[in-house]
Amino acid sequence: MSRWSRFVNVLRPGRLQDELDDEQRFHIEARADELEAEGLSRADALARASRQFGNRLILRETSRDVKLLPWLESIWRDLRLGARMLRKDAGVSAAAVISLGLAIGACAAAFSLIDALILRELPVRYPGRLVYLSRASNNQDLRFSALYSYPLLNWMRQHVSPHMEVFSMSHQSLRQAILPDADGVEEKLLSQFVSGNAFNVLGVMPTIGRMLQPSDDVTPGAHQVAVVSHAFWVRRLGADPDVLGTWIQVEQRPYQIVGVAEPGFSGAQPGVLTDVWLPNMMFNRESLGAPNWNWLQVWGRLASGEALQTVQAIAQTAFANFEDDEFIGKDGTRAAGSRLELRSAASGYSQVRQEFQRPLLTLAAIVGLVLLIACSNVANLLLARGAARMREMALRASIGAGRGRLLQQVLIESAVLTLTATALALALSRTAVPFIVRLLTTNENPVYLDTRIDWRVLGFVSLVGCFTTVLFGIVPALRASAAGPGEVVALGDRGHTAKAGVARSLVAAQIAFSLMILFVAALLMRSFDRLTAVNLGFSPDQVTLLTVETRDRLEPEQARAMVRQLLDRMESLPAVESASLSGWALFRGYSNGNNVALPDGRRAQTFRLDVSPQFFRTMRIAVLDGREFEATDSNATNPMPVIVNDMFVRTYFHGDRAVGQRLTTTRGGRAFAYHIVGVVAGTHDGSVRGEMNPFLFTPISDPAGTIQIRSQVDPKTLVDRVRQELPRIHPSLRLVDVTLQTSLVGNTLLRERLLAVLSGFFAALGLVLAAVGLYGVLSYAVVRRTREIGIRLALGAQAGAVVRAVAGRVALAVMVGGVLGLAGGLYFARFVEALLFEIQAVSLLSIALPLFSLLIVAAVATWAPVRRAIRVDPAEALRND
Amino acid sequence: MARSDALQGSLPMLILKILARRGAMHGYAITTQIETFSSEVLRVEEGSLYPALHRLEESRLVKARWVVTTKNRRARVYEITAAGRRHLEAEEKRWRKVTLAVGQLLQRI
Repeated sequence: MSRWSRFVNVLRPGRLQDELDDEQRFHIEARADELEAEGLSRADALARASRQFGNRLILRETSRDVKLLPWLESIWRDLRLGARMLRKDAGVSAAAVISLGLAIGACAAAFSLIDALILRELPVRYPGRLVYLSRASNNQDLRFSALYSYPLLNWMRQHVSPHMEVFSMSHQSLRQAILPDADGVEEKLLSQFVSGNAFNVLGVMPTIGRMLQPSDDVTPGAHQVAVVSHAFWVRRLGADPDVLGTWIQVEQRPYQIVGVAEPGFSGAQPGVLTDVWLPNMMFNRESLGAPNWNWLQVWGRLASGEALQTVQAIAQTAFANFEDDEFIGKDGTRAAGSRLELRSAASGYSQVRQEFQRPLLTLAAIVGLVLLIACSNVANLLLARGAARMREMALRASIGAGRGRLLQQVLIESAVLTLTATALALALSRTAVPFIVRLLTTNENPVYLDTRIDWRVLGFVSLVGCFTTVLFGIVPALRASAAGPGEVVALGDRGHTAKAGVARSLVAAQIAFSLMILFVAALLMRSFDRLTAVNLGFSPDQVTLLTVETRDRLEPEQARAMVRQLLDRMESLPAVESASLSGWALFRGYSNGNNVALPDGRRAQTFRLDVSPQFFRTMRIAVLDGREFEATDSNATNPMPVIVNDMFVRTYFHGDRAVGQRLTTTRGGRAFAYHIVGVVAGTHDGSVRGEMNPFLFTPISDPAGTIQIRSQVDPKTLVDRVRQELPRIHPSLRLVDVTLQTSLVGNTLLRERLLAVLSGFFAALGLVLAAVGLYGVLSYAVVRRTREIGIRLALGAQAGAVVRAVAGRVALAVMVGGVLGLAGGLYFARFVEALLFEIQAVSLLSIALPLFSLLIVAAVATWAPVRRAIRVDPAEALRND
Repeated sequence: MARSDALQGSLPMLILKILARRGAMHGYAITTQIETFSSEVLRVEEGSLYPALHRLEESRLVKARWVVTTKNRRARVYEITAAGRRHLEAEEKRWRKVTLAVGQLLQRI
């Protein structure tokens, strides 16, 4: 019986049982046939035949044992032997298990992140036919390139309809809400507006109640119904079926909960967990008629049998017509010829993915390399151990163990090692993955990824385990099993030399891999360093941001008075250097575009932000010309005093003096004039990487916004003081959010920080592993050649010659590894180039830095064994044998 | 039962010999063949043939496959392998040597 069918027998004992049974039955029936022919009745014949056959059960068991036992026993023996061998060299084994565990764990962690974010298909109907609309635009900021207006959604629905079912899901955002049982206490939950047909098209079923339907999405403002996600229902509503029919308040509007979605569906955007779905019709009423209010992701499911290209062409035509009708020739805000693309959304559309795909894949490549280094290390270890066991192997071969049998033994030993390491790896990735997800999460953008250890992760880890076992186990196994009986006696230098060659190539590989990681990690870390050193145009340190809201609708005069009062109170708090108010904080990720006409009639695109007096002082933005805002500026509405930034002046005034000039704009159909009273320095907003943009600042006239307070005081104390102060200014004022300006800036660099920190860690790990490998090989070489070194020294060899003899070939291996690693690093760097900021992938520094660190580590690892070689005492070395 | 035990020990060799002579056959046919030579070997239980067959199969001295008989039953057919033939030859040689030696020994006493 072949090895394979034995294996099948172990896995499927039932089948073996059936076969044995069939064979026995055939015998008994054949015998009964014969007895029947001799004149017995069928029943008697069968009974006699059965008696003659003997005890069927016992016989079957015996045969079963014959077929299964030897193999199982040999595996069990090898397993025990393997465990014993590992225990014998506990220190070395621990090192091997830990380095392998770290490497496999890192791979598992990378896999579960990538799987959750990129690979896994959505748990919806026909995920393969899902697409989302994406605009091919010059806009660098991905956030806006996939968002559309409600009129466009309707237009697409009408014009692409039979070929594709069109639906929409808004960008999820955190909104204030009051839950049924919360006694009016507010909390934040992630809500999403969807079109009425979204769940039908996705095929998402309710756990209880019903999902939103097309009839929930007809009249603006009239459908106060909500569906909650299963996870939210369990986490926050105690999985209570009675929540159906109760009311939940979102942004001060009540909604009746009509259903709970099926478990596992948490929205179509991996990375974000939606809590509540509301109908589109409940979004801001104005938005439903505004063709330039882009807040929806438009999705579609291709009709069965439709090709993506065909529908894409139809959608493109519809989109172009829409653009023509709505924009071109009206106010010229958008250039004609925007291209539309339908992209497959089988695994959802995710902004988190857009942002982290490349970094995650880069990390995956890095951890893959770490795994290879760890494998070569363990292979080296097993080789060294294998050399020590040559005699044992040869002995076993001479008493008749087949080569396959010896191979099995060594491979099983490797498997024991991997199994232990894999257990460690799973434990590691279980803690590391949530930690990394937390690193990616900010207050404003909570990242949620389903990274439980499921069969996919387990499958991947077992695959990696098998792969590593074979990788590090096969060479030592083949070498060990090649031991012929003859080698018991003749264990000469030949075997050693061959082994040393393998070990040296492994060293070269390790050096190459770790240099590759070092190369890329150095680029990423330097890039992050550059990013944190960018001059933002303002100083985020010591600025606390407090977002406030008013419940009541205020008259303009009342609102302006409240702004003044608010700022006065904030400034009078102890130890406050200065305080100001703006529509939102810089780097919050919000933006507001404004079209203005320049004095010569040309149109200018600019970002706009409402700010109070002292804003520029608080943010430490330099005033280059003219003045800051004053308290009275908010009273003047036409012309309105405005301040522009340096970029605005450079882009639109080409260096002419801007102060004193007039701009005009239309708002709500009426023309307004702006009067430029000051010019301030440019600032970054939203991204450290991008260019600075033209900005227009207008006086703020509403207290709802973000307060900036610059103070030396600890933010916690400051927030407490503000919290006490607010009701005294006005009872309807309340604090909605608190953060630091530094964290807002830091959040935009999350991805870069993650990459820098993790790649740095893995580079260090790889370097240590490579150093251990180098040290091991050299030490072994010195120990093995102690006698030879002794003779050389006795004959008067210089220390240099001894070092050359011992380390020469290893040094050559290091050099070969270095060259290969450098080439690999340069190749690898091309894939991360897009992630780098102001760093040249190919430059003297980017080559010298990793090479230098590697040389230092290599020197340290070489030092001890080489010193031992030089200090060999000839007399003792010769006496030794 | 001493005689029976000794013969029982020679069962594997007997099976190999039969298969070498008559080609592929199923367990029951082997049983009837053995019966024509000796009623002693399988006196205890006919079924004890099968563990012996399986042991031979495990040592790759015979190989087996499933066939459908004329009566439309599934039968497992055994066939001697090249290794089986070599083994049989060696065993026969050894057996003849031993019997010869024992015979000579008995004559001298």
